[in-house]
Amino acid sequence: MRLTLKNSGTTMSNKAMLRNYINEIRQGNVSAEEALKKAITSAQSLNKKFHFFTTPTYDLAAKQAHDIQHMVQNHREPGTLAGVAVSVKDALCISGIESCAGSAILKGYKPLITATAVTKTINAGGCIIGKTAQDEFGFGGFSVNVGHEFPVPLNPHDTTRSCGGSSGGAACLTAAADFPHVAIAESTGGSIVNPAAFCGVVGLCPTYGRVSRFGLIDYANSLDKIGPVGKNVEDVALALSVMAGHDQNDATSSTLPVEDYAKHATANKIRVGVIKESFGEGSDEAVRENVRAAINKLADAGCKITEVTLPTTYTYGIPSYYLIAMSEASTNLSRYAGILYGASEPLAGGFRDYFSAVRTKHFGTEAKRRILLGTFARMTGWRDQYYTKALQVRQLIIKEYQHAFSTVDVLATPTMPFIAPKFSEIKDMTPLQNYMTDILTVGPNLAGLPHLSVPCAQAKGMPVGLLLTAPHFREDLLFHIGVMHEQA
Amino acid sequence: MNKPDVIIGLEVHIQLKSRSKLFCPCPTTGDDEPNTRVCPTCLGHPGSKPLLNKAAVDAAVRLALALSSQINPVLNFSRKQYFYPDLAKNYQITQYEIPVGNHGNITLANGKRIDLMRLHIEEDPAALTHTSTTCLIDYNRSGIPLIELVTEPAMHSPDEAREFLNTLMTILGYLNIFNPDEGVMKADANVSIAARGYTRVEIKNILGFKEIERALTFEIARQRAHEVVRETRGWDAAAGQTYRMRAKEKEEDYGYIFEPDIPSVNISQEYLNSIRTTVPELPSAKAERWVQTLHIDPTDATIISTELALAERFERLAQHHSAILVARWLRRELLRVLNLTGKKVNDVAEQRLHELFDLLEKKTITDKIGQQLIEELAKKEFSPKQRVEEQNLGAIGDVEAIKHACAEEMEKNKQAVADYKAGEEKAFHYLFGQVMRAMKGKAKPDVIKQVLKNILEG
Repeated sequence: MRLTLKNSGTTMSNKAMLRNYINEIRQGNVSAEEALKKAITSAQSLNKKFHFFTTPTYDLAAKQAHDIQHMVQNHREPGTLAGVAVSVKDALCISGIESCAGSAILKGYKPLITATAVTKTINAGGCIIGKTAQDEFGFGGFSVNVGHEFPVPLNPHDTTRSCGGSSGGAACLTAAADFPHVAIAESTGGSIVNPAAFCGVVGLCPTYGRVSRFGLIDYANSLDKIGPVGKNVEDVALALSVMAGHDQNDATSSTLPVEDYAKHATANKIRVGVIKESFGEGSDEAVRENVRAAINKLADAGCKITEVTLPTTYTYGIPSYYLIAMSEASTNLSRYAGILYGASEPLAGGFRDYFSAVRTKHFGTEAKRRILLGTFARMTGWRDQYYTKALQVRQLIIKEYQHAFSTVDVLATPTMPFIAPKFSEIKDMTPLQNYMTDILTVGPNLAGLPHLSVPCAQAKGMPVGLLLTAPHFREDLLFHIGVMHEQA
Repeated sequence: MNKPDVIIGLEVHIQLKSRSKLFCPCPTTGDDEPNTRVCPTCLGHPGSKPLLNKAAVDAAVRLALALSSQINPVLNFSRKQYFYPDLAKNYQITQYEIPVGNHGNITLANGKRIDLMRLHIEEDPAALTHTSTTCLIDYNRSGIPLIELVTEPAMHSPDEAREFLNTLMTILGYLNIFNPDEGVMKADANVSIAARGYTRVEIKNILGFKEIERALTFEIARQRAHEVVRETRGWDAAAGQTYRMRAKEKEEDYGYIFEPDIPSVNISQEYLNSIRTTVPELPSAKAERWVQTLHIDPTDATIISTELALAERFERLAQHHSAILVARWLRRELLRVLNLTGKKVNDVAEQRLHELFDLLEKKTITDKIGQQLIEELAKKEFSPKQRVEEQNLGAIGDVEAIKHACAEEMEKNKQAVADYKAGEEKAFHYLFGQVMRAMKGKAKPDVIKQVLKNILEG
């Protein structure tokens, strides 16, 4: 049975810094131009410390702020995000602005198109201050697999630690920002909630198809989702309301109407299912304890807590996810051949010699690994047992979630099994250990389910994230329970 | 059953007549300046997403229905990945697991049925131009919708392959989904012969279906004369030869995956019914029906049915005139004068043919005058009825006038008269021709014959 939420007409949060700021801008009490000037100055100095930008776009932000100011002065509608500084993950194209998805092979590439999510944000008054750092094409969970000469963002809570990834720059800036800001990030297997958890901010990965992927540099098209990262749940809800919706340029975008996610909703007893497997071995005791405590607070706030089990998801989620993601990625990356755009080399030899030289030089190690594994998994003789099997498992995982949602409204787990690791620890991890860190996030990503990470505690001085997952298109439920958590 | 001497299978690629490309709104025709009809999608830029052209799906489904293929209830697209400079993304979006249609067939004029394996939609790669030092790429062609039609290895001579392609062309014309003036038809052919143990050779990229017959003829002769290995060959149209491209020990591996940017397309029964109403009666069915119900000559029927405009014109004209007369005149005379003048069926006004056939049917004019008039009609429109009146071209049945002409011609051609009397039948035809000429083709032929015979034998 679908849990229905009633709109109470009030707004969600008393910590609503963004909402108050936007109101001030819209009423003309605060100058967008002045506010962005300050934001840019602050971003410049923060970026020197934390390295969250691949390409800052301060001039663009200043110009957009100027336009907003002009609109306010002329009593024209400046939009629901008027004057908010918005950062954009490097993988989202902005026309005329270098967009590389963190890869050296796209160095110098200025797209002809702007991602729909970015266009909608700009149309709502957002001011784009920069492209944020990420693992090359999204291939990683720590933002260390960056292209040659691309920045590795440093965790604002401890700069010897990773911000998580792949949307590391987005979460890093969100945590560090002392100005009104939201980030547009992207997740394929956990790349929004992972860095949100590691940096102590809120990240929402929406239902697959809720936000148009037009203009997103593809990692794995059947898994890629664009979503917001912000300082609190309401900021994220506000940003999603702007970005979401059908787009005729993306055939996989949903035609379901978009709700005003920032409106506070009331609900009767929400049933929270705690996934048993997510509290097993292989995760930090401190993380488990803190997340359990957060769930207990939800119980105190009126939620009904039960335990559910997702054996297929937790046994086969990782291999299924990586087989599908790498198979798709290896075809997506085949277009980077140094001919039409991006990095190029002096012409030498035949076509094969040429593109092999470009790809050898400009792809990073992890990109090459995923091309090789992904190509292998779809070759005749292997395809049936890897690629096709993974698609079948994905269907079983979707069914398993559907079954779980027949008895609970949302699912709860830790977002990541441990706190943000030190760069020195990451260096020693094998690729397999790397992939296994996605164990808690690949499930909802494979099933295309919306999931929200909210910071719930500190362990060893570092943030811990609580991950909430809802049925398809029930972002409203996530925001509702997210606010309950914030207020608990 | 005897094993056939030659086995041929074809993979035909047809450029669909379509305003826009298969996955983007770029036009398929227009400015021929290279790389002017392009966008981020057909250039394979990152961030672009393919959007399926529904009209192309409609066209493919129409063809599949017309060929009696089994239409699959759900269409999926796949990525066929290989590195080649003409591929913007280094993969081609095509259909792999589930094509638009499986099976189906095409019946040749001689009644032989050629079975089909499958029919699917895919995008055309860009066009390459090789210069002495480099290679130029024109992306205007990138993303043009193609239909790939794969036959069973069911043909046994180049003749049959040509017949197959002719019939296919006719069907495409009926369905109005291929424009031979702007679109290109390409084929790959599999050829093997009994004498070489049916070792299969594939000939790639034969452009235009006249070339396909030439390439097959050459390749069969080559296989008879030389050892055959399993390989892929190309066709050099200028040299008139196939040439070795690469050995083919195993199938190429394209690492197909589903195209995740294009949602599955459901083919509902309602949709199929709506498309079915747009599939016209096909040429072979039309021809058969005409022979059965209108009793026209089977060869006339086959030839007239080949072109939709002609077939439709025939059906309209045959409602008002003798079908046999219309069929004969369209096939023998109209097609002859169209060939002569390079005009199209619709260049000759139908109303004028009505008038002409009326005159012929009522024997107001002779066949000879009819032929002259239809030749004139192909050049310039006029009213045959008016012209016959104005220029006094009506058939002459006046026995006295004809008697007079006969007497004159017999006087001029004494030798022919003597020959006839000596038993030479040919001489009669000669004399007949002379009289007809003297009467400027206007005399009723049966009257001339009667009068001439009477005089000669009288």
